[in-house]
Amino acid sequence: MSCSCTTETESLFLPQVAEIIDAKMITATEKHFTLKLQNGERFDYAPGQIVEAGLFGYGEVPLGLASSPTNGTSFDLVVRVLGKVTKALVGLEKGDVMTIRGPLGNGFPVEEFTGKDVLIVAGGIGLCPVRSMIEYILHHRDDFGRFTLFFGAKTPSDLLFEEDLEAWRCESCMHYMDTVDTPDAAWKGNVGVITTLFEKTEEITPDTRVIICGPPIMYKFVIAELDKLGVARSNIYVDLERRMKCGVGKCGHCQINDKYVCMDGPVFRYSDIQTLEEAI
Amino acid sequence: MAKVKCAWFDFTCCEGCQIELTNFGEPFVDLLEHIEPVEFREAMSEKTTGPIDVAFIEGSFSREADRRRLEQIRERAAVVVAYGSCATSGGVNALKNHTNDYTEEVYGADAKRPHLDSQKALPVSAAIKVDYNIPGCPIDKAEFIRVVEQLVHGTAKVYIPSYPVCVECKRRETVCRYDDGDHCLGPIALAGCGAPCPADGIPCEACRGMVKEPNEAAMELVLKENGNLPERWAKDKSRMFTANIRGDA
Amino acid sequence: MKSYFLSDQNLSAFVEGLMSKYPVIAPVAKRSRFVFEKLVDASELRLDYDTTILPPKKVFFPAKQDLIHFDQHGFTCCIDPTEQVLLGAHPHDIKGIAMSDIFYSDRHCDNNYMANRKATTIIGSSVQNHYKHAFFGTMNAERPLTGHDLFMTAIEGGFAVDVVTERGEALLPLGTFEPATEAQVAAAVEVNRKAEEDCPEKLNGTAEEIREKVRTSFKSPVWEAFAEKCFSCGSCNIVCCTCYCFDVQDEWNVDGVSGSRFRLWDACLTREFSEVTSPGGSENFREERGERYRHRFMRKAAYLNEQLGGPACTGCGRCSGACTANIANPTTVINKLLEQ
Repeated sequence: MSCSCTTETESLFLPQVAEIIDAKMITATEKHFTLKLQNGERFDYAPGQIVEAGLFGYGEVPLGLASSPTNGTSFDLVVRVLGKVTKALVGLEKGDVMTIRGPLGNGFPVEEFTGKDVLIVAGGIGLCPVRSMIEYILHHRDDFGRFTLFFGAKTPSDLLFEEDLEAWRCESCMHYMDTVDTPDAAWKGNVGVITTLFEKTEEITPDTRVIICGPPIMYKFVIAELDKLGVARSNIYVDLERRMKCGVGKCGHCQINDKYVCMDGPVFRYSDIQTLEEAI
Repeated sequence: MAKVKCAWFDFTCCEGCQIELTNFGEPFVDLLEHIEPVEFREAMSEKTTGPIDVAFIEGSFSREADRRRLEQIRERAAVVVAYGSCATSGGVNALKNHTNDYTEEVYGADAKRPHLDSQKALPVSAAIKVDYNIPGCPIDKAEFIRVVEQLVHGTAKVYIPSYPVCVECKRRETVCRYDDGDHCLGPIALAGCGAPCPADGIPCEACRGMVKEPNEAAMELVLKENGNLPERWAKDKSRMFTANIRGDA
Repeated sequence: MKSYFLSDQNLSAFVEGLMSKYPVIAPVAKRSRFVFEKLVDASELRLDYDTTILPPKKVFFPAKQDLIHFDQHGFTCCIDPTEQVLLGAHPHDIKGIAMSDIFYSDRHCDNNYMANRKATTIIGSSVQNHYKHAFFGTMNAERPLTGHDLFMTAIEGGFAVDVVTERGEALLPLGTFEPATEAQVAAAVEVNRKAEEDCPEKLNGTAEEIREKVRTSFKSPVWEAFAEKCFSCGSCNIVCCTCYCFDVQDEWNVDGVSGSRFRLWDACLTREFSEVTSPGGSENFREERGERYRHRFMRKAAYLNEQLGGPACTGCGRCSGACTANIANPTTVINKLLEQ
């Protein structure tokens, strides 16, 4: 019984209370929350970490932190309506509270990216967890080399963080490119799956550090493109999603081989998991 | 807060679920602080025609003549809950869907009388939109309370598991019916009831229906090999409550 | 290690002594099977049991365990351990508990489990009758037996009682013990050795051979062949002494303002275990029943080895017995893989 706990009545399941200081719907089904801890303490986390956000009587859901820890005392989460918990969470407004457990998981290994060219490939709601890294890079811009962001969405109305996208498009210190699968009449940008963006830029050097986050189907196609460009698989990081019930490596729901996505991930170096069945 | 007006209606059934409700005791009395029953045949003589908040419908839809009455309930009710196996899947009544019609033999000259005119036994949802289904024969009291609590307070949708009864039997450490030399439909039966029957030494009959993707072929084999049922029984065993659900429905 | 002798005649008085101070959870008969239950009367104790339906993990981690109670004012956690005695755990079940201890204390300490675990004194007992599916003689047999406080081995005329911890020794004044003779100590060693040797079922490989074989058999047709009869019913999971997965649910009270968050034993064989809600329905990371069937074996024989220092199996045989389709037996499946 090796147990390092100091307080024997401290439960891993006891959350903190966070107050919603801003809330707005950013698509038809996604709501962007800005929160701060009710006890006034700073919520300390690394880009890419996750929290279990919850409401008593409904339950908890794992969410990637959608803001950079360099933002001050507040932090952002984006909730998409999927099941009963997310439906209840999306009903919350400014001034309401939700519960937070975390930060959980490992986050992006920022030191591995320092001084390197960075490419982030995000599909759909996968933009939310990597937004923590995007903001972090923009806040510490001089620490990184060339910064490219690919974002793909199903339709123009699924493009998240409209204000961010506007800013990123104009940003001279980053190269932002997006594409949609199905355009509408007003759409003038790229059309096609996210991998088509690789043909439209020559900026991705073999020494680039890459982050991928998106729907399960996306990973292997993006990795195939990176292979073609000669990017080492040890320089590719994938941000994975599973149904995490506990977030602390106990409940077994997110287990992939001997890894727990909630604890060993959600960020994995691709070369570490490329042979693990059921991972990608 | 105004009490939620609830009414109970019965169609083709034994009204056993209504009886089960009257057996509730304390939890039902607690519930009465939040709801006002306005029609409940097994417990009160009053009837209503006005709007109702929640209509609980028991029994299957087995006569075309009942369609209008169901539609009228739907028009009056903000929420419709089908409760009990008959209402949620057709229940035991659906056995008739797979057998010959013996009305002539049984009733002779009276066979054509209108009240004997029935069709396939179907769930209530075959006639009207149903908002919630509470399966079981009879319904599980605790689950019923949870659903009503949810409707009254507008809280989270009640979780109904999709795994089989075996999970609940094992959790409560019930001696497996097969260990007692009996048979059981637990491996393919939908859980949520808390598995009271096997705990009392009675095989599960899958009254709540089947799990998603039930392994019916393996069930037949196990009923034969471990449960010692003859071929035909093993084949037909699960039909009692799942006549409308089985692969051969 | 100190060893004592407890005569058959003095057993009841010792058990009653324990019961006078603590709730005592021990094997008792239930129809054709046995279960660990709180003793109401010392005469209910059945140290001659073969196995229990559920392993003793339920003593620390009940099938349904409240985690948090909430109401309109706030919320509280529910850790409230009771000092208790677990009496009569077989050696392989003690190993199972030791594995659960690792799962629940490694990296993040789960006090909802650990508090109950720490409040429990464990008295082990030798296997007097074998469960027909037991294979603990060839599964984790070399794993050191730790985590218990006393161990009783049935020998001629009574029990040889080994004192493992001070906590166990502190219970001795509750009974009448005499120092064990050298012959009694030797007899006990032989009884426990023979119990392993006499297991009705056997694995044909070492832990390392099994890990290697199972790990490299991911694409073997064996899984699909066995899984054809699988109900995905999760019985093999729920009765397993090293299965520790759970689901977390919230439930309201009738008042609609208060309620509880609790965890429930979960089973990776069931369809919903690996399901995630996604736009337009759900996505399942182990869609096919063969994949779920394989996952359990992978987890027991390969995935958890590094964390545990060996396979996550004790050879208790409960999964084999709980499987109505008769496909869960690890000796059948693993021996089949080893042949290939």
